[in-house]
Amino acid sequence: MTEVKIGTKVPSWTMEHVDAQRMKTMAAILRDPYEVHWDHEAVRPLGFDRVINQGPLNLSYLANMLMAWQGASCVRRLNVRFTLPVFEGDKLIAHGTVIDLEQVAGEHRATCDVHLDRGKETVMVGTAVVALDQAVSS
Amino acid sequence: MNNRSRALPMSEEDLHALVGHRLPGGTRTIEHWENWLLTDCTGSDQLGDDLVHPVALFHVPIQGAGTSIAELFELCGARGAGSVGLDGYDWEYFAPLREGVRYQIDGSVTEVERTVSEQTGRIADRFVYTIEMIDPDGVLIARVTNHWRIRR
Repeated sequence: MTEVKIGTKVPSWTMEHVDAQRMKTMAAILRDPYEVHWDHEAVRPLGFDRVINQGPLNLSYLANMLMAWQGASCVRRLNVRFTLPVFEGDKLIAHGTVIDLEQVAGEHRATCDVHLDRGKETVMVGTAVVALDQAVSS
Repeated sequence: MNNRSRALPMSEEDLHALVGHRLPGGTRTIEHWENWLLTDCTGSDQLGDDLVHPVALFHVPIQGAGTSIAELFELCGARGAGSVGLDGYDWEYFAPLREGVRYQIDGSVTEVERTVSEQTGRIADRFVYTIEMIDPDGVLIARVTNHWRIRR
């Protein structure tokens, strides 16, 4: 396994194509009445021609990146800000960098700067804390 | 053209009176089918071992606290497309969420703030709520603090 250090890059995770059909399923699960996620007529007055992805789905791509890196039960904290809306059809790439390492109750943890990008635009930024599977050095 | 809807007017006094408003509270069990669909929506492989995808911390706390996105919109006066924006989330996981566990869930409105644009005079209110999930042994499993922006 690769040693985790401050400055370690988390392997990126890509959502190739934000899918409007998934937004519809998500809206049903969330019981989300906000029509901007599934009705094109609702977003046109806002100046958009594509429906807007749910914020939790944007966050899920960051979670997927972290879980692909350190396992399905690794996430300890997600603290994010939404900076731009995400639309159907967008390609998004999640990125992360380790900025701190600590031990809590015998568990090694990494704090990471994380961000979700659409091309050169950042649509979400924040920090995440994950439990590490492996030995660390600082 | 940008013709977004605006949330209902609310006095600053009424806005601040929302702080401390307790959600009804209740219990919530995450079913396998729900977790499967949720995980599929994220583009992830299924997690297995009854593990729930971390993104469940949006809707499960809301629904388990005995409310809904629609009721929260009503509480803060949101109305129509463009009247609500997401500022951010702070989600803490003290233990992994699992399918089939009956969680006790309680929460409240914890913070509000009114801002007025110097350029347009338009009002945007920050609306923050916190919800906690406790397992059947009384152990705190997760806490969410969600920040919304209500455009009036």
